[in-house]
Amino acid sequence: MSAGQHDESSNSILKIALNLAMACFVSGLIIAGVHFVTADAAAQKAEELKMDSMKALVQDVEKFEPVEGKEDWYKAVKDGKTIAYIVPSSSKGFEGHMQLLVAVTSDGTVLNYDIISHKETPGLGDKANEEPFKSQIIGKKADGLEVVKDPSDKEHVQAMTGATISSRAATTAVAKAVEEVVHFTGGK
Amino acid sequence: MRELWSIFSKGILLENPIFVLALSLCPALAVTSSVMTSLTMGLTVLFVITANNVSISIVKNFVNPKVRLPVYIVSIATIVTVSQLVLQAYFPLLYKALGIYLALVVVFAIILARAEVFASKNNVVRSFCDGLGMGAGFAIAMVIIGGIREIFGSGTFLGINIMPASYDAPLILILPAGAFILIGYLIGGVKIIVQRIEKAKA
Repeated sequence: MSAGQHDESSNSILKIALNLAMACFVSGLIIAGVHFVTADAAAQKAEELKMDSMKALVQDVEKFEPVEGKEDWYKAVKDGKTIAYIVPSSSKGFEGHMQLLVAVTSDGTVLNYDIISHKETPGLGDKANEEPFKSQIIGKKADGLEVVKDPSDKEHVQAMTGATISSRAATTAVAKAVEEVVHFTGGK
Repeated sequence: MRELWSIFSKGILLENPIFVLALSLCPALAVTSSVMTSLTMGLTVLFVITANNVSISIVKNFVNPKVRLPVYIVSIATIVTVSQLVLQAYFPLLYKALGIYLALVVVFAIILARAEVFASKNNVVRSFCDGLGMGAGFAIAMVIIGGIREIFGSGTFLGINIMPASYDAPLILILPAGAFILIGYLIGGVKIIVQRIEKAKA
């Protein structure tokens, strides 16, 4: 420090700026280098992970095929027949967006769903991706996908205590996916 | 050796980041509603703070003191980004669990504070021990807070039910306000212990 006070030039704004710029440059080089090495592996893993998460949604399936004309839609095929559509959906949660992958049969019944990304409260809202909330949604059609707070009402979805907004967000996203699939297939 | 041990161990109790320094209270409120998330966050911080302390103590002589803080932040951000890239490519499941925490770690006060207070003035080995101790102290504090909140707020421990079914969990413990109150009591408790230790020494 004391050396710097005697030597004016070492504290010139240019030197300081260069110092910071160098640090950022080195950091950029490191990140670019790592990215160069890992990018391919990451893309491949992401694809595998997506396939795995789809397999978890629909059991005994032969393969997944992209649906023509619909971005990011997949159909699950078994014995040459389409048994389910896997559709991305999203809605507004308690904090920010909630993104889901929903598996819907062609007649509009929910097979399963998975919340891929969310910003819900840990320990409260994030239970929307777990039992017992999940099994309330599975097997329902569009008319049952509504959140209620009346425990005796078995036709609809019970809100989770302390997380009504998250419950509603998940249910809305699933309902949206069901609606889109029914619109696409004509409900058959 | 003895000196290194005291550098390490002070982070755990006498200068515990959360209970004594009261730094990084934000994650201590936000992600401690269950033991698992607290532990994950604690270990993430342990890794980043140690790596950052080491890298800062290596480059400290090349950094102009006037831009040291931006350089420290660049260093933390680089470490976090590199870990994200590596995890994404080789351990995608771990990345899925850690992803949101890693990005948050960049702005934690405790990591910047250790770079400024310790790593910029000490050699690599000492900085490594300091990072390890502070990180461990942070992780332990997080797990204590997370444990209390999960047991009494949800009636579970690591997701397993341990309270009788009739236990009516107070919702406030799960919410950030409850965590704030709890941390206040814990800080008070740790203060008493620290004072006892110091009295015994004197």
